[in-house]
Amino acid sequence: MARITKEERKTNIISAALKLFSEKGFYITTIPDIAAKVGMSVGNFYNYFTSKDILAKELVMYISEYLGKNIREINDKEISTEEKIYEIVSMYFNMANERPEMIEYFLRVYLSNREVFGDGCEGMICVSPFVTEMMMFFNDGVECNELHDQDFFSAFGLFMGYLGGMVFLFGEKILPEPLEWYKKSISQNIFNALKTR
Amino acid sequence: MHLKQDKKLSIIWFQGLTCNGNTHSFLNLENLEEFLSRFEILYHPSLPSTKDFLAVSKCILECDIFIFEGTYDPLMKRNDINISKILKYYAETSKYIIAVGSCASFGGVFKASAPERNSGLIFNENEKEGPLLKQSEKLINISGCPIHPEWLAYTLRMIAKGKEIEIDDLHRPIELYSNLAHHGCTRNEYFEWKVDTNNFGQKEGCLYYKQGCRAPMTHASCNKILWNEVSSKTRVGTPCFGCTEPDFPRQKLFSTKTNMSIPEDVPIGVPKRSYLTMAGIAKTFHIKRLEGKLIDYKTID
Amino acid sequence: MITKQLIDQIEGEASIFFDIKDDIVDFATISFPHFRGIESILENKNALDALVITPRVCGICGHAHLMATVRALEDAYKNAGYQIELSEKVKKIREFTLIMEIIQNHFKWIYLTILPEITKLTKAKREQTSLKGAYAASIASKAIAVFAGQWPHSSYMIPGGITADPTNIDVLKIESYVDELIAFFEKESIGISLDKFLSFESCKDFNNLDSDVSYLESSLVDLNMNEKGFSYDRFLIVGKHEFTKPSKLKQTRPFGIDSKYINTIDSYSPSQTSYAKNAQYKNEFYETGPFARLMATNLPIVKNMHRRYKDSAYSRVMARVFELALLLKHSKTLLNDIDISQSSYSACVDISKITASGVGIVEAPRGPLVHRLNIQNGIIQYYKIITPTQFNIGSSTKSNLTPAQKSMIGCSKKDALFIFRTFDVCSVCTTH
Repeated sequence: MARITKEERKTNIISAALKLFSEKGFYITTIPDIAAKVGMSVGNFYNYFTSKDILAKELVMYISEYLGKNIREINDKEISTEEKIYEIVSMYFNMANERPEMIEYFLRVYLSNREVFGDGCEGMICVSPFVTEMMMFFNDGVECNELHDQDFFSAFGLFMGYLGGMVFLFGEKILPEPLEWYKKSISQNIFNALKTR
Repeated sequence: MHLKQDKKLSIIWFQGLTCNGNTHSFLNLENLEEFLSRFEILYHPSLPSTKDFLAVSKCILECDIFIFEGTYDPLMKRNDINISKILKYYAETSKYIIAVGSCASFGGVFKASAPERNSGLIFNENEKEGPLLKQSEKLINISGCPIHPEWLAYTLRMIAKGKEIEIDDLHRPIELYSNLAHHGCTRNEYFEWKVDTNNFGQKEGCLYYKQGCRAPMTHASCNKILWNEVSSKTRVGTPCFGCTEPDFPRQKLFSTKTNMSIPEDVPIGVPKRSYLTMAGIAKTFHIKRLEGKLIDYKTID
Repeated sequence: MITKQLIDQIEGEASIFFDIKDDIVDFATISFPHFRGIESILENKNALDALVITPRVCGICGHAHLMATVRALEDAYKNAGYQIELSEKVKKIREFTLIMEIIQNHFKWIYLTILPEITKLTKAKREQTSLKGAYAASIASKAIAVFAGQWPHSSYMIPGGITADPTNIDVLKIESYVDELIAFFEKESIGISLDKFLSFESCKDFNNLDSDVSYLESSLVDLNMNEKGFSYDRFLIVGKHEFTKPSKLKQTRPFGIDSKYINTIDSYSPSQTSYAKNAQYKNEFYETGPFARLMATNLPIVKNMHRRYKDSAYSRVMARVFELALLLKHSKTLLNDIDISQSSYSACVDISKITASGVGIVEAPRGPLVHRLNIQNGIIQYYKIITPTQFNIGSSTKSNLTPAQKSMIGCSKKDALFIFRTFDVCSVCTTH
């Protein structure tokens, strides 16, 4: 049997923690719970993450970097802004389907337990990789005259609030159709709201 | 080029389409008298000269250093003689040509007087194009609107000492233009922590994000070699207008162009992503001291 | 026979075309051959850009242009219904830097232009003093730069106030520069204390002095400049400042004025195209500048000088020296009265909300500088500049001479060339 690397172990912890935090909630989940799910001792667990709060913050950064990396790939493509919107929405919805624990963590733990993240994750520090890529997306869209100029937060709130809302509804099993079904109409709505007049 | 150091170098200061700003800035040079004693001023529009303008315009003089101030307009005449003829003569016969000011370097403010034909001596904004291209090798651009007298004094002293002046792609002396106008601004801490000034007339706050300050994008030593030895635009709350660069003057000068609140131009050489990441993080923190007035500082926490 | 005389060592280039009969100037026209088109450059630009562009009309009086622009913009705000209230501090700082520019201008004119010309005419063996003018001007520039960031080409005045927020450190430093200037002026230029100089009652008070200014004064008399260079003996002051009394004067009698009566007409320059226009008040020519401004004051020496020598070249030259003294004194008063605690800037509505016309007038070194603009949603539709040299040194027909033309008629060409310079020519301003 091949030895598991330290990196792989860390990733396993992250996956397990994300699942447990989103299913059971942040306060109820304990370190022994996570260690057990991964199959390691609590002592060994502390070699990877020194506390539950630190783990919580690292999870946010992990998700941000993941999202940031994916959005960057889309940003770097030589496609129109309208197409980029579709790809971002698509990527986000795919993530909600394939790795729901990531989006769930973000919505149900990060956004809902601000007191955990107050010290060391003030404002948007921990989500910086993701926010920066969204800024680049908007910047490029205006620079090439496909999106109209407006305040960043107005546009960001529209885009992200919309996506987060749809995923929330999906999580609550309210949406009658599968998430992919909504990709096209959502992308269209976003583009129509943001495009140049 | 190395010249004999015992003979005084001769200078002719000639003007194209100009406001005379560089001439007047130069008159502010500290120890002007001592400086001038090292050169022979054949002609200068304000200073005592050994020759008069008639002689200069007739193209009969020999000079070592030909200084040109103002935009080049191919149709312009001085003393009824086409300046292109005068320029050609001195460009070919002098040992050095110095384009003083942004008009002579790139076209500047008065390129707009006749944009289809006006330009600098070897640059037309940032295109290599102009009447003296053939003599580019001996031409130095000292851009600025106006120039600081020390910039010209440095250049002339280097020439007088026979020292090689290293120049950048725009023919500007590297030692003078390697700094950005941003280096040395007294508001740097506000730039670092992204504390933007909410208005003019304040000592506090950075002028980059809203008031259109071009200092992080401008090569100039204004906050290192202070203006009139005492100050600079940004030190008195006026945004830098980027007057040493080929795109001066830009438009909508007192405001920053943003695309969805993101500055269109970020500090030179800094990738936009890197800038946004740093800015995003800095903006998150609210540092009490930096958000209050300077004079309200406390020594005890 | 018409002879052309290129005028050198002035701001820019000008030529006088003399019509000489029996060695005497019978008529002369003046041409300013270059043109930069700043007024059209400003069209369709954002109104605040004018604060950066108009100082580039002129290197020696760019600061006056800045103030004229900001006044015109603030006037537009007022006409659009947004009256801007400036603190006393802002008014005094703006006036201080304006005065300092006039002071540096006069120092340069006296030492770099007039004294060398006089020395040529008297053929006196005198030590060259040109650089004294540059030195004094550099100190005055420093005083400006502490408030305004730099000189030349500052843009520290904006609608609503100034960009700077000075401390007492700045004001005290500036005061020391002014003191240095006054000490320099007393020791190097006039050879007597400033206060005593300003209390001169007649030209005879120069008799016991031995200085650059006393040499200037006695040379003017030796060259009979007190009997030449007469113009219309009527004067115009338009800019409103603490140091001026806007009015028109016919000899010594003052009358009220309204700037709307300032108009321009094409110049008459048949020998060579001139891009300058002549400026008039109610279709008449008036002399402007230091001499005009002093005629509106009660300075005993000016009254005495005018009584004896009318508006001769002598009076015109000496007036600038007296104005230099007066302004040095006034600048100290201004500094003393600055209350640092007042606001440097009061926020006003964004310029894009302004659709209106505005007029801004200042007294620049050579006289009234008028900026008239019209903006629509913050964009310049129209910008017109009238400079003081257009009032003084226009070129018109024989039957309607401008002040400079009139002053040269009846003189020898040599004298006429000197008299022409007594108006302090700024050709760059005039051909903006």
